[in-house]
Amino acid sequence: MLILKVVAMGPIHGYAISKRIAQISKDMLRIQQGSLYPALHRLENRKWLAADWREAESGREAKFYTLTPAGKKQLEVEELDWERLSTAIGLVLRTVL
Amino acid sequence: MNWLLDLFRRNSHERCLDSELRFHLEQQTRDNIAAGMNPEVARRQAAIDLGGLEQIKEECRDTRRGAWLGYLSQDLRFGLRMLRKSPTFTTIAVLTLALGVGANTAIFSIVNAVLLRSLPYRDPDRLVRIFFNEPGVGLRDVKFSKPELDDLQTRAGVFEDATPIAEGSEILTGAEKPERVEGVNGSFSYFSMLGVIPQIGRLYGPQDFTPGFAPEAVISDSLWRRAYGADPNVLGRTIWIDNDPLTIIGVLPRGFRHPGPTVSGDAEVFGAAGFSADPFPQPIRGNRVLKNGIGRLKPGVTREQAQARLTAMAAQLRHDFPTDYPPQAQWTIEIQPLQDTLVGNVRPMLLVLLGAAILIVFIVSLNIANLLLARASGRQQEMALRLALGASRGRMVRQMLTESMLLSLIGGAAGIATAVGTFSFILRFVPPGVPRLNEVRIDWVVLAFALLISILTGLVFGLAPALNSTKGALSPALREGGRGSGSGTKTGRMRDVLIVSELAFAVVLMVGAGLLLRTLGNLLQENPGFNPTQVVTANMQLATRNDPKTDPYLNIPRRATFDRELLRRMKAIPGVELAAITSALPATNSNPNAVGGLANESLAIEDRPVESSQDLHAERIRISPDYFKVLQSALLRGRSFTEGDEDGKPLVAIIDESTAHRFWPTRDPLGRRVRFGRDPTKPWATVVGIVKDIKSDGLDIDGVPHIYVSTYQDSSKRLSLVLRTSLPATLLEPQIRNEIQSIDPGLPVFNVSSMNEVLDRSLASRRFSANLVGGFAGLAVLLASIGIYGLLAYMVGQRSREIGIRMALGAQRDDILRMFLRKGVALAGVGIVAGLVFSASTASMLGSLLYGVRPHDPAVFLIVPLLLFTIAVLASYLPARRATKVNPMIALREG
Repeated sequence: MLILKVVAMGPIHGYAISKRIAQISKDMLRIQQGSLYPALHRLENRKWLAADWREAESGREAKFYTLTPAGKKQLEVEELDWERLSTAIGLVLRTVL
Repeated sequence: MNWLLDLFRRNSHERCLDSELRFHLEQQTRDNIAAGMNPEVARRQAAIDLGGLEQIKEECRDTRRGAWLGYLSQDLRFGLRMLRKSPTFTTIAVLTLALGVGANTAIFSIVNAVLLRSLPYRDPDRLVRIFFNEPGVGLRDVKFSKPELDDLQTRAGVFEDATPIAEGSEILTGAEKPERVEGVNGSFSYFSMLGVIPQIGRLYGPQDFTPGFAPEAVISDSLWRRAYGADPNVLGRTIWIDNDPLTIIGVLPRGFRHPGPTVSGDAEVFGAAGFSADPFPQPIRGNRVLKNGIGRLKPGVTREQAQARLTAMAAQLRHDFPTDYPPQAQWTIEIQPLQDTLVGNVRPMLLVLLGAAILIVFIVSLNIANLLLARASGRQQEMALRLALGASRGRMVRQMLTESMLLSLIGGAAGIATAVGTFSFILRFVPPGVPRLNEVRIDWVVLAFALLISILTGLVFGLAPALNSTKGALSPALREGGRGSGSGTKTGRMRDVLIVSELAFAVVLMVGAGLLLRTLGNLLQENPGFNPTQVVTANMQLATRNDPKTDPYLNIPRRATFDRELLRRMKAIPGVELAAITSALPATNSNPNAVGGLANESLAIEDRPVESSQDLHAERIRISPDYFKVLQSALLRGRSFTEGDEDGKPLVAIIDESTAHRFWPTRDPLGRRVRFGRDPTKPWATVVGIVKDIKSDGLDIDGVPHIYVSTYQDSSKRLSLVLRTSLPATLLEPQIRNEIQSIDPGLPVFNVSSMNEVLDRSLASRRFSANLVGGFAGLAVLLASIGIYGLLAYMVGQRSREIGIRMALGAQRDDILRMFLRKGVALAGVGIVAGLVFSASTASMLGSLLYGVRPHDPAVFLIVPLLLFTIAVLASYLPARRATKVNPMIALREG
């Protein structure tokens, strides 16, 4: 879901995604860089991400990922799920405390 | 099918993946440099952060659908390359596998046809064989009468239908020479009961009913093709059977086979009868002439219910007709599934053979596992390298398994091909006594079984080395570079276990083979009670006309005249010294299918009350006066039959020692009088002589009492000739045939062979199983010794440096020799002991196949381990001696 969210902000390549996730989560969530790429490929295989080769800011060809409509839908579903879950957990925590 | 396309686009995928990851590394390195690292450190840090480049690539590849297909083809190609690279190993593995799978395929095809596949009739589960027993006097399967048949059909209420079956040889005349064919006579509902539809024409039905024999015949497909060239206009033509003209009304479908024993080959002529008029005796309860009975249970009636009903009915009949059913006989009716009675005593033999075949394929796969393990240790470096280069362990196991599966499937295919290719050849060795042999074929059930066996063996021999190969730690394996000073203990332990189990299974097979071979040896040395060399035998049969008035062989005087003329002509053949007639050739009776096969007959002894006549029965054998002279069998007391013992003179009998001991243990039997059957009006026969026992029922059957009677006083229509001559059977056959047919051109002569051949044939199925299991055992020993040899040779190679050190430190060659010998001996010892324990607990399963040997025969249980132990020591001595030849200087320098 994190990856989808990051990609939702616009076309982005793998390295930038890992930087971005580290940055946004303030290094709290440190995704093992090695497991990022298999995850990206899995999402691409499920047609949630599309990929194309473009020139990166450094001037080198890089693989940029974009969110597909299916991916957008999936993101919405997952966000909804997550909200429901975190609300529920929050409720439980608040009630119990 | 995107993933299929993916397979073809793999190259471009690979390039993308590669540049994507390289881009990541470059970016990271640049950022790291920007953060102030020096370039070298920056690149290193970037690589560490990312993790193993190849592992990531591999994981990315894994996410693709259809990846497995790509892997499979990769693994297959690699496996094939590996197999090609080591042709010796591949050849040995494929050959042994082909042998193992082939043997299993062949034997299972027989098991499948004989034991598993249900009978090819409508609702075969409802078909039963009906027996009439007299347990009170120890008789099973006695004959029955027409009124008893009627009871089954109507009074019992459990049968949809029941028919008596009269199987036997019949004489087919009309062709250039008279031919003996197998015939079956049943009731008019025989075919509808089995549910058969004719190929052409029609079958019998109630409209054909006649009290005697019907003037029609149904013929088999084989006879139709052989005698009539498959002529579609055969219907209505006349076929001469036992000199009676019958009209052909139908031809059976090709696959049809009569569900009962036949003398030899399949029944080809099917007649029908009402069993209540000529040539059948008057239909009263006492006239028991019908032999086998087959019935079809009513739908919904279980076998247990039917059995209970029949038992009750038998009790009622005993009560209603006390004179026909003497109480001490305890006459009763029994039913058994038709399939069981057909298979009979062949079941244990087939199961033992299948067990042996499965054991051998097990040993084969253990042996291959062993070879693979040896190779795997040699390939440890390769495996370590692969792991380092990013192969996951699962992937490695999969690849190793693919290799073994490939091997097992190639071996299995070779095995199936061998079995299919040599199928008819193999079938020729199967003893003809096995029922349903004509149904044996390689169908999809057999193929599935063969495939299953191949896959299982592949798993067995593939899994151990596969798991083993991926275990070892990475770096030591890489560093050792395959030249380690010692082999890993884990591999070693696993190989030990494999060798030990291989030896144990070999012991089981050897013990089984030993027991069967000793049985065969005992039987071959068994004294048959006569001298079988220089005796030629021939079988013949007199026709039974349906109308007794025209039967030239109807009564005893007529048959005696024929017999005398026959013997006169036989003795006139140059080279024939003596000739005699018997109704039962020795060693043929145990097979109920044999010509002249006789059932036990009940017996009365004068001066002995009927009530005490427990177990009074004996086999009646009708012989001519010179019979014992031809066989050179010793007359112990009294006299032989003479030409004067003929019809109208007082009846005489000769008994054998078993009979004398059983019926007259304390008194002199000579001069005592006996009588066959229960009819008290029949005359007594006086015992005039005692002969030594003759193994009349088969070499493996002892102690059946026999009573010989003069063929001039009591004869049957089936007879065999025995001639004492120095000429071979093949030379005599045309003359015998010629002489017989100049008496009556309508008489067929068959099975002209020497007495030794007759004895030999009676051992056919024992010989078959003993030789087969013996062959398997030999193969098992060979494989086990290869296993031990291979293991030790490998160990010697691996430990040559250690040996060098030991020798440099002062170890003697003998010490080295002993060190390796001890290893081999220890393995052999454990394996043999385990095998003996296993054999001892399973040997009793062989019980019914043994003769003169106990299942725990001490000789076998002593010789087998000694033999195997010697072989194991030899197999370990060779590599051990090589170990002593290690030159310490060279070994150390190389290390």
